Amino acid sequence: MKADSNSDHGVTELGVRVASGTAHEVELIARIAVGDRKAFEELYNLYHRRMARFLTRLTRRYDVAEEVINDTFWVVWRKARSFRGDSQPSTWILGIAYRKARNAFRASARLAEKNLEAELPPLTSEGPASTEELRDWLGQALAQLPVEQRLAVELCYELGHSCEEIAAIMGCPVNTVKTRLFHARAKLQKLLPQLATPAAAVPATVAPSGTAVGGEALPER
Amino acid sequence: MADVLPHEESWQLLPWLANGRLSPSERARLEEHVRGCALCARELAQQQLMCRALTEPERVTYAPGPSFRKLMERIDGHRAARVSAARPATARAAAVRMAAAWRPPGLAWAASFLLVFACGAFAVTAYRWTQPLYATHTTVSASAADVLHIAFVPSLSIGDAGKLLREAGARVVEGPDATGIFGVTPVASAPGAAPAQQASREMRALAARLRADARVRWVEPLATAAGTDAQRQPPHR
Repeated sequence: MKADSNSDHGVTELGVRVASGTAHEVELIARIAVGDRKAFEELYNLYHRRMARFLTRLTRRYDVAEEVINDTFWVVWRKARSFRGDSQPSTWILGIAYRKARNAFRASARLAEKNLEAELPPLTSEGPASTEELRDWLGQALAQLPVEQRLAVELCYELGHSCEEIAAIMGCPVNTVKTRLFHARAKLQKLLPQLATPAAAVPATVAPSGTAVGGEALPER
Repeated sequence: MADVLPHEESWQLLPWLANGRLSPSERARLEEHVRGCALCARELAQQQLMCRALTEPERVTYAPGPSFRKLMERIDGHRAARVSAARPATARAAAVRMAAAWRPPGLAWAASFLLVFACGAFAVTAYRWTQPLYATHTTVSASAADVLHIAFVPSLSIGDAGKLLREAGARVVEGPDATGIFGVTPVASAPGAAPAQQASREMRALAARLRADARVRWVEPLATAAGTDAQRQPPHR
């Protein structure tokens, strides 16, 4: 990915990291296709942490998350030969994981939703004491969303995928991804009104001097 | 200056401004809009907060090693099953020829089978009618199964399996069958030697010990008055 303008340092750096990581994963998949177990283990370890984290948060059960991860990589092992490289490895792998997770979540969602409504902390006018506390609340709130909205939120905010990538992973149009996130955000705001507290939010694109990343001054609010 | 995005479109794209995954042109247009829209500016702050909350490192991480080993056992078990199912071509052809030689055509085969089955059923029923009824002087109370069925992980050797059973206080009384399942009982109790309730307790204790051992892939659920004991999934084929 070639360098963008000086005002897009963040995107450039991310783009370069994404490009080199992608090339390495493509190489690993090619080795897995001929039965290389070391390559398989390396790819598994690369994905396990990020997948375990968000799957466990969503299901609250590591055994379910582990089953989804292993079901996904079972398919990766058997179908590595059919990966042509026309999509990014992450899109391919997470696309498989999405389908496996959707079935697993639907089975466990009924039980989870029953318990979680009682577990949400009482709403107060105070914001979360820490990012960790907010993450815990988010985890509980996310479990109340429909499966597709839940997964769209995780793919966007935690795993940092673009709208087009999420559409490829979930096998749906780009507008559907936007709609799912739109509804998810609305529901999360209702469940966590603390998110709407201006004091709890610090805009990160505004530097302390009040200028945006691009160097232009922002109007005072 | 880039064209400014309409408000509705801007609102929908804010998550990707927060996670840094917009194209440069979209980003420029959206930032221009946010500068002039207090609603979107506040919403952007919330989106960035969510990104930070969901990407911050957690204190608890999950080691991939044990999960990966489980996956490899599953892959190796599947491969072994495929290998054992692939008989030599000549033996397969001979089996097909033999089966063809014994198979009468179509409806005649079905009718013959039904006739044989009906005659057999009639003969059994007629025999039973002619026999006096017997009653035992004692009744056997319902109890847990006398034999517990288990399956080991494919990589376990015979020697290690024997050692595992000795340590768990079990002995083999059945199998292995074609699917690799053994029937075991507690060493301490011979069938009929202990009261049914005690035997049932010993069997459940044995099942619990075997379930706790990672080298045992599957333990048969035991039927109790309250229902079936918790179990692992049956071995993958």
